[in-house]
Amino acid sequence: MLATHFPSEDVLLVTASPVVKAVTNFKQISKILEEFDVEEQSSTMLEKRFPNIKVIESGVKQLKSEEHCIVTEDGNQHVYKKLCLCAGAKPKLICEGNPYVLGIRDTDSAQEFQKQLTKAKRIMIIGNGGIALELVYEIKGCEVIWAIKDKAIGNTFFDAGAAEFLTSKLIAEKPEAKIAQKRTRYTTEGRKKEARSKSKADNVGSALGPDWHEGLNLKGTKEFSHKIHLETMCEVKKIYLQDEFRILKKKSFTFPRDPKSVTTDTEMWPVYVELTNEKIYGCDFIVSATGVTPNVEPFLHGNSFDLGEDGGLKVDDHMHTSLPDVYAAGDICTASWQLSPVWQQMRLWTQARQMGWYAAKCMAAASLGDSIDMDFSFELFAHVTKFFNYKVVLLGKYNAQGLGSDHELMLRCTKGQEYVKVVMQNGRMMGAVLIGETDLEETFENLILNQMNLSSYGEDLLDPNIDIEDYFD
Amino acid sequence: MNVEGHVYVNDNLRTLIYEEINAYKTNKSSTFLPAVVQIANVSTLPGIVKASIALPDVHAGYGFAIGNVAAFDMSNEKAVVSPGGVGFDINCGVRLLRTNLFYDDIKNKQEELAQLMFNHIPVGVGSQGVIICNQEYLDDALCSGMDWCVKEGYSWVEDKANCEDNGRSLYADSNCVSIRAKKRGITQMGTLGAGNHYAEIQIVDEIYDKKSAKLMGIEKKNQVCVMIHSGSRGLGHQIATDALIDMEKSMKKYKINVIDKQLACTPIHSKEGQNYLKAMGAACNFAWINRSSMTFLARQAFSKCFNQSPDDLDMHVIYDVSHNIAKIEDHIVNGKLKKLLVHRKGSTRAFPPFHPLIPLDYQYCGQPILIGGTMGTYSYVLTGTEKAMDVSIGSTCH
Repeated sequence: MLATHFPSEDVLLVTASPVVKAVTNFKQISKILEEFDVEEQSSTMLEKRFPNIKVIESGVKQLKSEEHCIVTEDGNQHVYKKLCLCAGAKPKLICEGNPYVLGIRDTDSAQEFQKQLTKAKRIMIIGNGGIALELVYEIKGCEVIWAIKDKAIGNTFFDAGAAEFLTSKLIAEKPEAKIAQKRTRYTTEGRKKEARSKSKADNVGSALGPDWHEGLNLKGTKEFSHKIHLETMCEVKKIYLQDEFRILKKKSFTFPRDPKSVTTDTEMWPVYVELTNEKIYGCDFIVSATGVTPNVEPFLHGNSFDLGEDGGLKVDDHMHTSLPDVYAAGDICTASWQLSPVWQQMRLWTQARQMGWYAAKCMAAASLGDSIDMDFSFELFAHVTKFFNYKVVLLGKYNAQGLGSDHELMLRCTKGQEYVKVVMQNGRMMGAVLIGETDLEETFENLILNQMNLSSYGEDLLDPNIDIEDYFD
Repeated sequence: MNVEGHVYVNDNLRTLIYEEINAYKTNKSSTFLPAVVQIANVSTLPGIVKASIALPDVHAGYGFAIGNVAAFDMSNEKAVVSPGGVGFDINCGVRLLRTNLFYDDIKNKQEELAQLMFNHIPVGVGSQGVIICNQEYLDDALCSGMDWCVKEGYSWVEDKANCEDNGRSLYADSNCVSIRAKKRGITQMGTLGAGNHYAEIQIVDEIYDKKSAKLMGIEKKNQVCVMIHSGSRGLGHQIATDALIDMEKSMKKYKINVIDKQLACTPIHSKEGQNYLKAMGAACNFAWINRSSMTFLARQAFSKCFNQSPDDLDMHVIYDVSHNIAKIEDHIVNGKLKKLLVHRKGSTRAFPPFHPLIPLDYQYCGQPILIGGTMGTYSYVLTGTEKAMDVSIGSTCH
């Protein structure tokens, strides 16, 4: 983006991991095996296409904002006119340094997870965010014990009603054909891990893009499809390795066949998890999917950034941090401008991409002394994803976030097929949750942005006999 | 009613329509009026001539039913223009591209081709366009339509000739488009959208009229085509919304009373009417630009897949029709030639052979009409006839 606007200026891309690029020529050989030709060698391709871009593969050691320079791990210093920090966020691990606790954050750790899974009979997933939701359904042939601290699954995305709708899918053991979801695919350059520079190789990686699990065969050792047991309103109290657990002489439970009966497990497992609800389960390994924390640490020393409550770098409506000429985009930043009434920040890849794009435009405009309007992508929150083999679309204030009690909800649901929830305030649509192939996303996107007064329709708005999509066409 | 309502049905549809009317008679509580009632309401608007026409696929819409054609006499100073008669998705339409490929050429490459299309064409809610655009660019584009595309290199010159109105509305004026509409437009330029919009790779299943098909470059069964169904996205929606609010406020000053609030309208020659027509023209241009940029991207996708240039693949535009639009056209009313403002909502223009406004290539067969089927179902290509000029103001279904 920047390279196009400033062909005569140098643009440096400093990255600690291989550059992410889109995959082309994707071919699916069978349902499980996929083959893709990676046509483009991205960092060299980037450099070839834009001679003013130079890619430096090295972590950042320090930011000296007053001197306008960064010091990289390979010992070099780079002076900048304008800088944009896109270091993302790192997963909050429930326990650091335990080899049986995996975080999934980049393609390397995702592949590591897949590798571990092939030897596993049972795993535990701790957390209730997007990664957990996507993961729980994808895993086959392995018992999954899913522990969440909330009452219902997916509470960052759904209310209890939608959670209930989705939970019934978890119980069904029938394998289903996957719904198609075609998008540009992202991956990293195919470099062997050993060849990369060592110092922080374990802590860095490019974030998972959309459909990150599509290229993976997430299958354990067993032959069944899904087997998931949900433990709600609990957290991890302690993790024991096998030897430690033996000494304790406590009892762990088998995989519960039904909610009422619990039996003692006689099998020995490599690791045991004690939950705050007093239950203990053994498993082959634990996946920590408990959210992310902005990766601001490398840049704080010696610089007085304004930080948000969530630990991210505060940015204004031009993606500018509190320090001159330093911008930030993606998971590392905290949106601190006057937000649109139907937008909120969520650490998702869609927003990261939009912010990066917009930050580049802002940096360009600032260099030229031009003014620039807020990008329209921050006008309406929109996210499309797939949970439990359902297409899920979230629009605007889909959970009535920040609307207080001054709102109404309208709901239409056909079990196993579709779930449509609409958030209304003063007769205007403020948000929507669409699960399944509803074909309503574009209509609702327009109704929210038009802010048309829909009070005369009342509840009829969701009447299934009316083709509302066509009506507002 | 100022004119009659004419509803085109077959036996099945007639039964359905009467059922709808009977249900409405017993229960008038729903805010959603049945289509037939809307057809009748439209016939009460000032300046309407000939009839309030409903094509066979008529169904309820905002104000006007979808599948309604309503023409207004431009020489009558009371005659109105109504945004509900065009629809929110201004210039939602269909474009058909041909190729010289056949099913056997693509059958082993379907997955690859589909993925390439997805890689190239931005699709889905919140998707962003690939055309880098700022307000200046947009203003130029809104005024020039496909001429802008040709200038920027997205379209071939010959694409214009096979597009209704040559892909450019001459009454477009970007000054009549609100900032908010432009903001929505800038982000969404060149995107497909979601819902019932699609870009579909199709094969010719049956040819009923070989002569006409040949004029369109369709030679044989199993020939591969690409159909694009899309409109003016958020820009059109915002323009329609802005105009409805504007007109609702101004109706009183023109002493217009409408039977349904959703039929908000003002006289064609009023300030509000003219503003709407100019903004609508800009939205039409935007939609043509969108379909043209998707044409460009589809050509790129095919070219990459088959390693030939789009030209070598004969990927020409067969035709591009609009089914949500208002146009100034000449028609015979009671034996006299009149200038009418024809609102077509969910209906397609269907001009006959030798009509001066259709491309040279199609003078013998009549204007091609593209009826896009829902994704995955059959689509149809028809040609316009004299009968349409007589009975339905040169229109057919969509």
